[in-house]
Amino acid sequence: MIADLIEAIAKILFVFGVNMGFFAPILGWVERKQSAVMQDRVGANRADIFGFTLIGLLHPLSDTIKLITKEDFIPAGANKLFHTLAPFISLTPAMITFAVVPFGGQYEIFGRRINLVVADLDVGILFVFAFASLATYGTVLAGWSSNNNWSFLGGLRAAAQMLSYEVAMGLSIIGIIMVYGSLKLTEIGAMQTDFFKWGIFLQPIGFILFLTCAIAENKRAPFDIPEAETEIVAGYFTEYSSMKFIMFWMGEFLEMVTISGIIVTLFLGAWHLPFISDERLLSLFGFAGPNGSIIMLMMANIATFFGKIIFMIWFQMTIRWTLPRFRYDQIMKLGWKIMLPISLINIFITGLVVLLK
Amino acid sequence: MSYELDYTVGSIPLDKLKPKKVRKNIELTLWERLYIPEIVRGMYITTRHFVINMIGFVFPPKGKKRKIFTVYYPEEKLTIHVAYRGRPVLVQREDGKEKCVACGLCERICPALAISIIGGERQCGNDMERYPVTYTLDMSRCVYCGLCEEVCPHEAIVMSDEYIGLAEYDRKNMIYPKEKLLVPVARLKNRIEYVREIYGKANYMD
Repeated sequence: MIADLIEAIAKILFVFGVNMGFFAPILGWVERKQSAVMQDRVGANRADIFGFTLIGLLHPLSDTIKLITKEDFIPAGANKLFHTLAPFISLTPAMITFAVVPFGGQYEIFGRRINLVVADLDVGILFVFAFASLATYGTVLAGWSSNNNWSFLGGLRAAAQMLSYEVAMGLSIIGIIMVYGSLKLTEIGAMQTDFFKWGIFLQPIGFILFLTCAIAENKRAPFDIPEAETEIVAGYFTEYSSMKFIMFWMGEFLEMVTISGIIVTLFLGAWHLPFISDERLLSLFGFAGPNGSIIMLMMANIATFFGKIIFMIWFQMTIRWTLPRFRYDQIMKLGWKIMLPISLINIFITGLVVLLK
Repeated sequence: MSYELDYTVGSIPLDKLKPKKVRKNIELTLWERLYIPEIVRGMYITTRHFVINMIGFVFPPKGKKRKIFTVYYPEEKLTIHVAYRGRPVLVQREDGKEKCVACGLCERICPALAISIIGGERQCGNDMERYPVTYTLDMSRCVYCGLCEEVCPHEAIVMSDEYIGLAEYDRKNMIYPKEKLLVPVARLKNRIEYVREIYGKANYMD
């Protein structure tokens, strides 16, 4: 009983630590630096402590100190309760969703079975979708409660965009559920042992659809009309400052991490290395004894999983700094007239193939 | 000295530079309307830049010109072309006196009314010569247009290449007296030659 509790707490702390302690602060730096490198610039590299700049890694720290010491401003006429609540609503789902994403398989160490996922739900994917759509409320509430026209427009746009892409996102994933026959993310991950059984090879169209919808759900660059800084200042978080602003920022980055985690689990072979099976790895680590080799395998799997996540984050950042923003009507057209029919056709074809097999 | 303009764009010589064909029709082709191939093409370009620059950052090439053009300003400074118009300065002759004869043309032409001169006369050998008793340049008004330099008949005021340290916290510090404006002629040789060349037709009819 106590061992279970310790295991659960350790896993929660690990996921929380990696997300809040590593990804959330460092992604701001990654975004600035990667965009700079892509555009032949140098990027932020001036913040220093005793002359050490660490290629700009201290910028997130100085940004955080700056933002925390700023005034927490609530505009006149704003709905104070919802204005304060909105950043929490948009940050919490981003953190919770990672609970069902498995960051490793199942291992037996010292006679104890360890399942590397915080909550191994039977309806893992549905949980993800439920909480991803909950994040929309944060955006809409922020836009509505700010008593600002730009925020209001941003909130409206966010509501329309999220609603349209939620549908296509849900349908795009049905193909992969039919192929693997499970809603459980751990089972889907465990089935992708062979390189050519990864979701991206079984469901290439589903992958593109899901990636597009996920970026749209996350309100990032080609689909960033809710915050469109060239049109409506900063959209739904125009009126936010200080810690609440950081929370929106962090929410966006953590959502990016979570989306990468789900994409890796569903389409990119979860924690499996390509061409090298777990048994092969286990025999490679044989020198460390039965338990030691399993621990090393676990480490290798976790490293593989987070390596893939980092690649997906890099990929999303590349998309964000390559493509220009869609217009509002183009987004609606893409969502309803293109993504939705293609995802339905994808379901139909997948169903046929599964049935005839 | 001749100042021929450099008619090159980047490293491409002019005769090889051809105007790019612009497709005027706005209708996208079927290939473009598929989005994905074009997106992949765009991502290939940005990723290529990313990879090349990352290699350049991690293993900086020695002796080669770097790919990134950013100048780390306070540590690095660009070499300034002779045509650059920095802060206006008065030319100081070899004997330490100013070249200006206080004719008042610069005061007259200055569009920002930044210059004010009080002229006087002094003994120079056997002759008398005119000189500015006070020559005040209000740097908070100066717009760096270079008209004073153009109009000056004696090459007495030229635009230097100084641009550092001109900002002040107090407006009063920005009113420059004559002593602050004087710069020895040896340091301004390039600029004076350049001025002769570009304004030569107007000022030096020969």
